[in-house]
Amino acid sequence: MDTVKSSVTFDIRTKPSGKIKITNWNKSKVVMTGTLLVLTLLSMYGFLTFDYKEINLIQATLDTLANLKLMFLQANLNNFTLAEAIYQIGLTVGLAFLATIIGAVISLFIALFAAKNLSPKPLANTIIIFIAFIRAVPTVLWVFIFAIAAGLGSEAAILGMLLHTVAFLVKAFAESIEELDAGVIEALRASGANWWHVVTNAVIPSTMTSLLSWTFLRFETNFTVAVAMGAVAGAGGIGFELFMASGFYFDMKEVGFITYAILLIAVMLEFMSTRLKKRYIVKS
Amino acid sequence: MPLLEVKNITKQYEKDKKVLSGISFDVNGGEFISIIGPSGAGKSTLLRCINRMVDFSSGEILFHNTDIMSLSKKDLRKYRTQIGMIFQHYNLVSRLTVIENVLHGRLGYKTTLQGIMTRFTEEEKKEAFHLLEKLGMREHAYKRCDHLSGGQKQRVGIARALIQQPKILLCDEPIASLDPNSSKVIMDHLKNISQELRITCIVNLHQVDVAKHYSERIIGLNGGQIVYDGAPQELTTTNIHQIYGSEAENLILA
Ligand SMILES: Nc1ncnc2c1ncn2[C@@H]1O[C@H](COP(=O)(O)OP(=O)(O)OP(=O)(O)O)[C@@H](O)[C@H]1O
Ligand SMILES: [Mg+2]
Repeated sequence: MDTVKSSVTFDIRTKPSGKIKITNWNKSKVVMTGTLLVLTLLSMYGFLTFDYKEINLIQATLDTLANLKLMFLQANLNNFTLAEAIYQIGLTVGLAFLATIIGAVISLFIALFAAKNLSPKPLANTIIIFIAFIRAVPTVLWVFIFAIAAGLGSEAAILGMLLHTVAFLVKAFAESIEELDAGVIEALRASGANWWHVVTNAVIPSTMTSLLSWTFLRFETNFTVAVAMGAVAGAGGIGFELFMASGFYFDMKEVGFITYAILLIAVMLEFMSTRLKKRYIVKS
Repeated sequence: MPLLEVKNITKQYEKDKKVLSGISFDVNGGEFISIIGPSGAGKSTLLRCINRMVDFSSGEILFHNTDIMSLSKKDLRKYRTQIGMIFQHYNLVSRLTVIENVLHGRLGYKTTLQGIMTRFTEEEKKEAFHLLEKLGMREHAYKRCDHLSGGQKQRVGIARALIQQPKILLCDEPIASLDPNSSKVIMDHLKNISQELRITCIVNLHQVDVAKHYSERIIGLNGGQIVYDGAPQELTTTNIHQIYGSEAENLILA
């Protein structure tokens, strides 16, 4: 009895109070907790010291609620027709589609050289690092960078979205390609097939479904980005109408309608891409 | 004149560790050779030196009197079409059909564009069906490869190698993932191939009894060196000792 007890107590850690510890305070946990604490303190300080001017907090909340009610319970179109709304949504979807499809084609070619089973390691690594840099900059920023040359508008928006799409898809595609069994590549090479033969006869057929799923996933992202670009970068489409309705006409009913429309599309895309992802990308 | 002459080759992946050292042997047309030896002896490496999937460090391999290390990129592809290869894990493109996988064996004869467009001639397709017929796989021609059993996959692998019209078949543990019945089917097919088509088979095996039963010649490898090269009937217990080390003997002969 005694020996068992002592051997067990040996590695149980206790707090200074003598109670048994169950958390393990490692570095990342300390950082996480510290960050949360600092953020909480900062927001409390912020709320207490804001300059609220003449705004009455209760009145403001009520007004916001009234606006929300207008937006979502009496959603309606005033400044343009339903047909026009559908056209504008089509424009936004088109913008997203274009950026995604062109991006996917470019990405496939680059990904072949970024996959370590098809390309020399130094080249693959260089591409992956380069792409990571591009990805680290948000899409909106890229759009503004292109706007310097092309001016704000759909061109800059497409270019910015395209660049970010490529940066995202190259990584995703390259990883899908790297999952291909090395033996298959070896078998074809051993029979005298050249690199392009291996790509078109083994790599593409084996990875097609996961490449398409990734592309669709990105299309979903690009749709939301395209809405934002319509508003921020003047790329047109439903995002621009939303911007006009809220910031220009102050038409809350219309804002509501547009939001519903965007939500509908986004939910549909989300639904499809989740199913695709479950089926083809995430392997159990 | 032998078909293939392996002359004193060595292979090192890392600086001071020889995976193969001083390997020499000649191979004649239609021979059935088994290579046996413990894990890590260098069997797979040796096979891959023959079709230059691995470049050896020193020595020479002559095929029809041509030094295979001197081949240009284009000639290397041409050379590889003459050497078929069969693998333990079959290495088929599982999303494609049986017939598509068999036709992959013709890619070595294609230009880049023909290969990309998967342009195969009617003769090639007929030949593919003919080979599948001979291997008892005709009715599975349009099935996806991931729907096949191991034994069936290996027969697709054999058909893919044969459609190359090779002079040599390199088989890297072709039956290591198969049950005894499928193993027998595969080994019988390989034996037939070497006898009827006069295609040389070089087979890496882990089962000494299978090697003895099927081959005309056994090469024993240990630590990257040939410790036995001769007829299966002459393989003695002492030889098996030398190949596998003394502890393994009881296991193997049990
Ligand atoms: N690409 C490689 N890089 C470095 N070392 C390697 C490589 N391939 C094989 N080796 C080493 O070479 C030695 C021989 O390997 P090889 O695969 O030829 O043995 P084998 O006889 O086929 O073994 P097994 O029966 O397990 O298949 C092993 O020690 C292995 O670790
Ligand atoms: Mg091996």
